[in-house]
Amino acid sequence: MNKLKLDVENYRNLLKQYITTHDETSLYQAEQFSKVSMQHNISPEEIIHVHIEALKDLYPHLPSEVDDSMNFLLEAMISYGLAYQEFQSLREKQLELKSEISVAANMQKTLLSTVKPTINGIDIGAISVPANQMNGDYYHFVTANDESLGIAVADVIGKGIPAALAMSMIKYSMDSFPENQRFPSDILKNLNRVVERNVDPSMFITMFYGLYHPATSSFVYSSAGHEPGFFYNAKKDTYEEIQGKGLVLGVTNDTTYEEFEIKVKKDDKIILLTDGVTECRLGDRFIERDEVLEVIKSYIHLPAQEAVESVYKHFERLQDFQLRDDFTLIIIQKNV
Amino acid sequence: MDFQSCVKIQKEWDIVGARQLGRERAKAIGFGTVDQARIATAISELARNIYLYAKTGKICFEIIDDLEHKGIRIYAIDSGPGIEDISQVMEDGFSTSGGLGAGLPGVKRLMDHFEIDSEPGKGTQVKTVKWVR
Amino acid sequence: MNINLEVEIVEQDSTAIVLLAGEIDAYTAPKLKEALLPLAKQQGLLIEVNLEKVNYMDSTGLGVFISALKATKESGSELKLVQLQDRVKRLFEITALDSIITIDSTVRGGK
Repeated sequence: MNKLKLDVENYRNLLKQYITTHDETSLYQAEQFSKVSMQHNISPEEIIHVHIEALKDLYPHLPSEVDDSMNFLLEAMISYGLAYQEFQSLREKQLELKSEISVAANMQKTLLSTVKPTINGIDIGAISVPANQMNGDYYHFVTANDESLGIAVADVIGKGIPAALAMSMIKYSMDSFPENQRFPSDILKNLNRVVERNVDPSMFITMFYGLYHPATSSFVYSSAGHEPGFFYNAKKDTYEEIQGKGLVLGVTNDTTYEEFEIKVKKDDKIILLTDGVTECRLGDRFIERDEVLEVIKSYIHLPAQEAVESVYKHFERLQDFQLRDDFTLIIIQKNV
Repeated sequence: MDFQSCVKIQKEWDIVGARQLGRERAKAIGFGTVDQARIATAISELARNIYLYAKTGKICFEIIDDLEHKGIRIYAIDSGPGIEDISQVMEDGFSTSGGLGAGLPGVKRLMDHFEIDSEPGKGTQVKTVKWVR
Repeated sequence: MNINLEVEIVEQDSTAIVLLAGEIDAYTAPKLKEALLPLAKQQGLLIEVNLEKVNYMDSTGLGVFISALKATKESGSELKLVQLQDRVKRLFEITALDSIITIDSTVRGGK
């Protein structure tokens, strides 16, 4: 490619060409000229200076006022040039930051990852997809010797690295509870105190924690302001909202949480989610909760993992592959 | 190396005086139009900072004209409140006046050499140089 | 991305009425915070926030109200939310914030 010469002669010729022909080619060449100039960090005031010189060359008898006006313009453009340089520098910094966040996000994935347990007679499906690089949703499975299954779903309000740190707090808090003391209301009560003390006043966490005991087929749970899930009762063939109100974590330090219980029978299903699912937009409006349920119903006959992935793909398509919020969906199916 | 002259900065109008003197000095030593404009802009920023934050101070010029170098050295000196965190004011994107692009990083870009010293409670001193090309 | 929130404050004796219109999300929440927090830090003020024209709020908005609530508790002021649209009210209900923030009456609908 022709390396356009960055000098008065070249600019003057292009300028003369345009003045004579008024053609689009000259303007296109002007565009190329400025692109190359920017690559060489030529500032706007230098371009104006080149223009002034070119004008003088081409039209030596121009009134001095024109010259003066161009000098005036030159001064005015210096600030624009400085702003552009600042912009470039900030752009570089942004790229650096993005890659740092990438690293942090990968660390988060590794440190906070949870293993989907294999429990006899239970089929578990889980999916959590972040809207951006750092996932503000978090879910964690805990198992014990008595084959009980603990499941926590949390949505950390607040973004980026502070949110990720809050999640570490949840995970280590949960893991540090002795096996036989993992009562949902206690866990939430303690977590609430930790969050309230340690997190910035506008950050808070919604969380659902449930414990399934295979011996008694009971699912005991508490909720801290979390988006209610659904319970499918196979015998009645109905879907009910999982009831249970509780204050979000981190607001007041003495909050207590009520515990609720559901009996889980054969073919019953527990569906847990975060508001990333219920905040989907359909064009101009928001999806209604019963519409969300309809979507879930259409895939629920599939094995749990396949079901959650299909529901996700469905919503992904609905939102043109641009989800607004982190999306988390968990389905626990009792098969025996 | 010779001849230093200073402009006291007390009123906004003094900024204009400093610019003018700076430009004249720059022209006399042989700077081209564009560099004259850059120097004037740098002076303007420095004087404006004095006017806005320190209330009074001075801008001084030193012409450098020896066998090896030709250029202008500009000092901006005040005994104002000083700067708490110099690295912060030298960061792109940081602005106390809500503007884009200029500020101290802008001055650094306009000139060839830039030095700043500041002590909270005592004042600030900026030294900046541009060479004739 | 639009800055899509209008904030109007009317102060009258020891009451401040804050009229909001638009959406409260991650982009507009800082604007709300800037308006609300200084009021919340004043002593003995009744702050009435009117959300009739707020047709969307997400959890970042809640975060601002939580901060404001905490500040009013410390300064002895009071925070009251009025005329919430259904969807916004639901957010306060699910999170049980309606049990610690005074919420008054609902406007039906909202797109």
